[in-house]
Amino acid sequence: MSTKTILLIDDEQSLLEPLAEALEFEGYRVLKARTADEAFDYLNREEIHLVTIDIMLDPGVECGDNVDSHRTGLYLCGEIKKYWPEIDAFCISVISDIRIIEQVESLGIRFLRKGETPLKTVLNMFRSRLTGIAYSTERDRHPPRDASNRGN
Amino acid sequence: MSSNDPCSEQAQREVTQLRKENDSLRAHLDRVEKERVEYLQNVSHQLVAPLNAIKWHIENLTETRMGVERAKKVLRSIYSQATIAVHLAKNFNLMSNLEADHALSKLKEPLKEIALRQLLVNLADDFQPLAWDRNINIVVDEDHFADGPPVWAMRPLVSQVFSNIIENAVKYSSNDTHVTIQGTYIAENDCFSVAIQNQGIPLKPEHTSMVFDRGFRSDEAKRKYPAGTGFGLYIARRIVEIHEGRITASSQKHPTIPDDWITLFKVTLSVKGLQGKARMREY
Repeated sequence: MSTKTILLIDDEQSLLEPLAEALEFEGYRVLKARTADEAFDYLNREEIHLVTIDIMLDPGVECGDNVDSHRTGLYLCGEIKKYWPEIDAFCISVISDIRIIEQVESLGIRFLRKGETPLKTVLNMFRSRLTGIAYSTERDRHPPRDASNRGN
Repeated sequence: MSSNDPCSEQAQREVTQLRKENDSLRAHLDRVEKERVEYLQNVSHQLVAPLNAIKWHIENLTETRMGVERAKKVLRSIYSQATIAVHLAKNFNLMSNLEADHALSKLKEPLKEIALRQLLVNLADDFQPLAWDRNINIVVDEDHFADGPPVWAMRPLVSQVFSNIIENAVKYSSNDTHVTIQGTYIAENDCFSVAIQNQGIPLKPEHTSMVFDRGFRSDEAKRKYPAGTGFGLYIARRIVEIHEGRITASSQKHPTIPDDWITLFKVTLSVKGLQGKARMREY
């Protein structure tokens, strides 16, 4: 299997450290962007297979004038769907503003709330999207041999 | 009553005036309500985020086979996120006291001797893991940290002053920079001054006093860190005032890096603190 690349967009990357850890442990290549500018840099330069987007984040200098930092992620969701529709996208945020969540989901992007979604669920969803194999609870209970045997 | 009745005209003017006042009050209430909702959302954001990181780290520990070294690293991250969560919870507790218009001294903290150097070293250690995230180094400058007598103060509150300033300095610093902490004992005034300097977003001259106002956030701060509440420095000012100390901010453009500013926060506390005065007096 060729290495898949996942881009995590969040201004506080320390909060996504456990996710990054788990993804790297599973063999994915993980890139991190803290601003919308950095995210666009990666999207333009790298072959990204899956992206996670936070909602409230620094737009950066290039995007700064056009975007409200409370909705930077929503702007990114729209741009990614428009220019990189082949990339699987998830929104991972703590926001509870139902209007923003509806707008995210109307773009066909799954919204996962931090604090409510177990890491295991997130990883299963990512695996499922990246492999095309549907997620099932049965697979959870019996993880693939290569993943479960991989020690450190 | 005829339409020319002066009483009727007077009554109409009063009704119009009352309507205007009512509209103005309603608009004010709407603004306050909007601010309150935004504040609660930001509080929730700030608290949930580190707690979620802790939950996810624990899932990693329990569900992934990992070596001892990696497990230690994860535990250090859990400790770091828990430290941030405790710091935030303390802030919200202090803030709720202020919002309820209670005096902070009602917290009835006894005055204690505080060795500021050690306190600041501990706080720098607490915030360093967060700072590493953007390659920011917090340095307690031992060469510029004069030893003086310990300061008499309410330790948890003074600790919160410095943790709020350090947290702020880290949040608004540019990547790959330093936050520097220095201390000076001023013998003639028998006070201790702590200077915390960082390099990052501008603090414009017109904002150097407003930055301590309740809820104030500059446009640059909102852009860099949208989920802030604007209460950290307000709490710091209130606590310093209770100790009859002084807190100031100043900022200037970086001499060589065009977009960066050097910002300096200075806290001065009397060494004797509130000793000799009514220790638990109400403020």
